[in-house]
Amino acid sequence: MAIRSILILAVVAALLPIAVPWLGFVFTLAVGTGLAALGVAMLLRGGLISIGHALYFAVGAYTVAFLMRDAGIDDLLVLFAGATIITAVVGFLVGAFMVRYRAIFFAMLNLAISMVFFTLLSKLYYVTGGTDGLAVATPTVLGMQLSRGAFDVVMLNAALILMVAAALLIDRYLKSPLGEALGAIHTNEVRLEYLGVSARGVIWAAYTASAGLAGLGGAITAVAIGHVVPELSYWTVSGQLVLVAVLGGIGGVPGAFIGAFFLELVRTLAVGIAGEVWNAIIGISLLIVIFFLPEGLYGLIQRLERRRTNPK
Amino acid sequence: MTRLKIAATALLLAAGFGSAAAQTNKPAEIGFGIFTFTSGPAAAYGMPGRNAAELVIKQINASGGIGGVPVKPIYVDEGQGSAGVIAEFRRLASDSTNEVMIAALSSANCLALAPVAEQLQMPTFMWNCDTHQLFLKDRYKYVYRTNSSTVPEFIADVLYLLSVKPDFKKVAIIDPDYAFGRDAGVIFKETLKALKPDAEIVVELYPKLGSPSYNTEISRLVSAEPEVIFSNFWGADLENFVRQAAPRELFTRSTVILALGESALQHVGTVLPDGVIVGVIGDGYWLTPDARRKPQTKAFVESYRQSFNEYPVFPSFKMANTLYAVKAVYEKAIATNKGRWPTRDDLVAAAKDLKVDTLTGTLVLREDNDGLVDQIVGVTKKDPAYPFPVMGEMVRYPATMVTPPVGADPIAWIKDLKPAIMASVPKPGSYK
Amino acid sequence: MIANYLPLIVDGLADAALIFFVAVGLTLVFSVVRILNVAHGSFYAFGAYLSVVIGTILAGRGWPLLSLTTLVISPLLVALAFGPLIERTLLRWTYGRPEALQILVTFGLFLILEDLQKVVFGVQPYSQDLPMQLLGTSHIGGIVYLNYQLLLIVLALAVGVSLRVLLKKSRIGKLIIAVVADEELARTVGIDAPRVFMLAFSVGVFLAALGGALASPTIGVAPGLGAEIIVLAFAVAAIGGLGQIEGAALASILIGFTRVAAIYYAPEFQPVVPYLVMLLVLIVRPYGLFGSIGLRRI
Repeated sequence: MAIRSILILAVVAALLPIAVPWLGFVFTLAVGTGLAALGVAMLLRGGLISIGHALYFAVGAYTVAFLMRDAGIDDLLVLFAGATIITAVVGFLVGAFMVRYRAIFFAMLNLAISMVFFTLLSKLYYVTGGTDGLAVATPTVLGMQLSRGAFDVVMLNAALILMVAAALLIDRYLKSPLGEALGAIHTNEVRLEYLGVSARGVIWAAYTASAGLAGLGGAITAVAIGHVVPELSYWTVSGQLVLVAVLGGIGGVPGAFIGAFFLELVRTLAVGIAGEVWNAIIGISLLIVIFFLPEGLYGLIQRLERRRTNPK
Repeated sequence: MTRLKIAATALLLAAGFGSAAAQTNKPAEIGFGIFTFTSGPAAAYGMPGRNAAELVIKQINASGGIGGVPVKPIYVDEGQGSAGVIAEFRRLASDSTNEVMIAALSSANCLALAPVAEQLQMPTFMWNCDTHQLFLKDRYKYVYRTNSSTVPEFIADVLYLLSVKPDFKKVAIIDPDYAFGRDAGVIFKETLKALKPDAEIVVELYPKLGSPSYNTEISRLVSAEPEVIFSNFWGADLENFVRQAAPRELFTRSTVILALGESALQHVGTVLPDGVIVGVIGDGYWLTPDARRKPQTKAFVESYRQSFNEYPVFPSFKMANTLYAVKAVYEKAIATNKGRWPTRDDLVAAAKDLKVDTLTGTLVLREDNDGLVDQIVGVTKKDPAYPFPVMGEMVRYPATMVTPPVGADPIAWIKDLKPAIMASVPKPGSYK
Repeated sequence: MIANYLPLIVDGLADAALIFFVAVGLTLVFSVVRILNVAHGSFYAFGAYLSVVIGTILAGRGWPLLSLTTLVISPLLVALAFGPLIERTLLRWTYGRPEALQILVTFGLFLILEDLQKVVFGVQPYSQDLPMQLLGTSHIGGIVYLNYQLLLIVLALAVGVSLRVLLKKSRIGKLIIAVVADEELARTVGIDAPRVFMLAFSVGVFLAALGGALASPTIGVAPGLGAEIIVLAFAVAAIGGLGQIEGAALASILIGFTRVAAIYYAPEFQPVVPYLVMLLVLIVRPYGLFGSIGLRRI
């Protein structure tokens, strides 16, 4: 079910922009947001709400900018790999002490770190470009420098492939012992410890993975927009990631991506039609989902699917 | 058979010419993407720009448009953030009715948009974009600035300061924290170092752009007791700063330079004492001798006032002058093409070495696509005719005196300035 | 020399006063209702906008002195408009639900209120500094101070003390303490807990809006005000200990002073300071300076 949903989403997202070209940009951004939201969703499984995950989103994005500017790395795949790994390492280091906290304190600490990062990015003008941010030139693909139009197409498809790969990977992970343990922490952590499983270890692994995902998401976003700004680490971005995760539904891996596509589409359409109220539209959608569709949009799809295959 | 063939070939050729002519016929309308701030603190600066655009385009269309084609403006709010602005630019550029972009206001946005414009080969005329970084390292074919950068403006500010107050020691700087503010700090310091080496910068503050409150910064400034304070605040930041600093006697205890001050005079000028050094970027002030002399400018000022209930500020002139410059580019291109509608490359060729009369002076486009305009600096002065202070004791600094030449690194050029130039610089009040 | 430090002290306290109003409201709501209200900052913004609008109308009508009253009337109006309505509908539904959901509901509310501001007040910046002008300035030690800043400090003290007295001495205060300590038991003895929640939440809204209204003469009011203040209020509330009024006061003073000290000695890092302090405090004392695991108290 999950695999099928993701593949359908990927195929639709790959084909639609052929008819409507500017959708390609929107969908690429949606994949970036979706990957980060997936990271948040993983932690939500374990009952941990991170309202500071924009930190890793921004780390991934700025890593791409720094790699291009200071390390002279041009290749798209190397940039993605580099951003993911470096962000995962940051997540590993931060996670080392983060795993001691639960509930509201976990949330607040994540928020604090992301805001420290945001303010540092904004003030260190001569290193990070300050509030103006840094430009991200068009990377090369397999050694070739493509025109921007061709690059955008390659970028979209690369993002969609990564989306599918990440979805498969995390789906596997969640069904593995480590992943199941994550859900068990939410239900009853003490019982898990009695079973001999280190709760901290489980959380640490999940946290690192979620950081890496968010870093890759940030890297994709950075390349697609061609610019990185400190706002990528702002608390409202973290809030949006949680929103996307819950909107899409944390019951399954596709949820994060469905939520992300929904958000980006609404944002693009609303900004054109009703520029002043798109925040409210997202907010109302969130409330509707929370009140009436607690399992998110993906949960709705799953329910409809079950009703279709088992008509009573 | 042969006659049929000849007829067929003739028909085909005619069709070919016909379609070629159809292609080079005038479009039904031309779209101008116009980027400015219409929301948030920057709107105090951005809305006068938008207002001017509306007025000028209405007038242009009323007299038949450009080359007989009406102009359709599409306004983009820069308040949505760089990512949104870039996305909008790309979206507008993908529609072929949009031929020209008038973008942008914020330095951050124009630095981000310039490479995008070049990639998409979209002629883009930076109506405000003050940062000298724009053309510093990159050469563009499709990107122009129809105004000056702030380098000449800030140099002019220092020249004016030294003209009215040659003796001082302690200087403070407070600028917004982004490229525009940071660069201003550097330019101002280097110019001061070159022309008055014994001056000392006692405090430098860079609060976040759009900060609502400067009270702590003002306390800091006051406690440092500087004789001169330089600020390139603009928009609501400038208005907030003036409102919050005036009761704290900042403007009476120090000589303050508000580099973009003219734009706030009508809103907050009443709290300013006389003698505050204020500038415009370029030469766009509605009460300059040139503006008062030109009938077209007087008409513009009057219709602006009728439409918007206030007088146009210098951002309005920057926008208006840009639009007239673009119109001039089109007209030159159409004339060169003998009526055929210009392509993008035709526009680029026409923009080369362009020299236009603007509402307030002249604009010359250099070979690096940057604009040359004179710089005007003055001081606040109460005027019985208006409920707000006006700029008095004005100086019009010629563009060539204060603008680094093509290819020169501005900072290096500034370092070569000598205090002796003060002798040949126009005196305050000389612009009558 | 004391004279050199006086401006620092006054600035720090004035800064602390403004953030105290918002943080104490947030922490009060958390203490009683157990929800971290992300939309708390939006009430601050509404308080600011409304105060500016009413103040401008009053000044236009020729009653400038009355503009001082808007500083208190506007927050009252905001609290009456939003307090009971939001508590009864949105919040009541989230009681007992997972924390993540509660935070998200208030985040959704925040998004809606952000746009409501833009629809009602527009996107242009507003300002009305008449109250600040009316109170004039004082010269102390050669430096000019705004009397308004001094007023803010006095008001913050008054509010802090009143809240304390209200909770300890008044009947409603004791009801609140009872509900905070043990809701189930409180209900058993006949306390109308839902009423208490509504009241506490409305007081929280009032305090946030009061912060906004009091800040408005000294700032420019523009979109984004709520978003900036809420994250700062979070930091202060977390540092002080969620649910602790004295904690909020002390944390406000701490943040006010460190921010002002930063501007004097390391201006580049001034915005980083509150969040750095938050991080350091939370690492050492996750419950904040005054918080504790055990007894639920306020």
